[in-house]
Amino acid sequence: MSWVQAASLGPDPGKEGDVFDEDADESLVVQREWRSHMQRRVKEGYRDGIDAGKAVTLQQGFNQGYKEGAEVIMNYGQLRGTLSALLSWCQLHDSSLMLISKISHLLDAVGQCEEYVLKRLESVTPQPHVGDLLDSIQDMDLRHVVPAEEKTDGNKDERLCENNAEPNTNCSKTLSGADCLSSECCRAHECAHSETPSLTWILEQTHSLVRQLGVSTDILQHLKQL
Amino acid sequence: MAGSPDMFDAIVMADERFRGEGFAEGFAEGSGLGLRQGRRLGAARGARVAAEVGCYRGFAVAWRCLLRGGASEKDRKKVKALEALLAMIQRFPYDDAAYGELLRDLDGIRGKFRQLCSLLHVRPDLRIPAEAAGLSF
Repeated sequence: MSWVQAASLGPDPGKEGDVFDEDADESLVVQREWRSHMQRRVKEGYRDGIDAGKAVTLQQGFNQGYKEGAEVIMNYGQLRGTLSALLSWCQLHDSSLMLISKISHLLDAVGQCEEYVLKRLESVTPQPHVGDLLDSIQDMDLRHVVPAEEKTDGNKDERLCENNAEPNTNCSKTLSGADCLSSECCRAHECAHSETPSLTWILEQTHSLVRQLGVSTDILQHLKQL
Repeated sequence: MAGSPDMFDAIVMADERFRGEGFAEGFAEGSGLGLRQGRRLGAARGARVAAEVGCYRGFAVAWRCLLRGGASEKDRKKVKALEALLAMIQRFPYDDAAYGELLRDLDGIRGKFRQLCSLLHVRPDLRIPAEAAGLSF
C-alpha cells in the first residue's frame, strides 16, 4: 500500500490557494476513488490467491490424510476382524452364550474406540492457523469443554465480553496450545462418554478370552502394532 | 521503457501490483487451508477403506490360526482360500490415495472374502462402521 500513500502525497492543494478549492476537492475524491479501486484489486487478488493456493495443496493434504487415516484405522479393523472370526468360530462350535455375548460386547467396544480415534484424527490440524481457527473450533465441537452448569445467562454475557475484549489472548492461547486444546476436547469427550473403553482394556479382555477358548495366543500376534 | 520508472508506468502497473500483493497473501492462506481441508477429507476416506480391508485381514489371519492342524481336504480348501485373500490384501495399497485400481481390487477382495465365508460356513458379523459399509466412491 506504500504506493497509495505516495500518490496521496502528490499535489498539495494548499499551495494552489483558495481559488482552486474546487479542484482540491476533486483531487481528494479522485484519491479516494483510486484508493478504493486499489483495495478492490488487493481483495480480488486475495480471493484468487486463496483459490489457487487451495487448489495446489488440497490433493496433497488429501493424500497425506488418507495415509494417516488408513494406517491408524487398519489396526482397529484387524482387531475387529479377529474378534469377528472368534465370534463366528464360537457360533460354529456352539460355545456358551456368555462367551458369545462377551465377544459381541468387545466388538462394540472396538467400534467405539475406532470412531473416537477417527474423530480426533479429523479434528487435529498439523499447523494451526488463525484464519482456520473458527473452522477448527467448530469442528472440535467445544460444547463439551464448557461445563453445563456454567451455562447461565449472566456467565454467558460475561464470557462474551471477555471474548470481545481479549480476542488476542484467546487466539495466542489456542495457537500455542493447539494440542492442549484438542486434548482438552478429547478429555471432555472422554468424560462425556466415560463408558468408552480403552484399547488396552479391549486387548486385555481379548487375550483372556482367547485363553478361555483354549486357542493359541498366536492368533493375536498380528495385533502387536496396537 | 522497462528501465524508466516514470509515473505513467507506475500507474499502469499499479493494478497488477496490488492484485499481486493480494494474491500472494491469499495464496499463502489458501495453501494452508487446502492442506488442512484435504487432510480431513483424506483421513475419513482412508479410514473407510482400511476399516474394511483391515477387518478382512484380521478375520483371515485369525481363521488361519483356528484351522491350524486341520488336515482334511475341506480344511485345506479353506486355508487355500484364506491364503489367497491374504495375498490379495497384501498386494492392495490400502494407504495410497492415488491408487487407480482401488475399486476393482476392493471388489475382488470382497468377493474372495464372501467365498471364504461360505467355505467356512459362517456369516460373520463384521461390524464395519456404518460409513464404511456404504463405501461406493
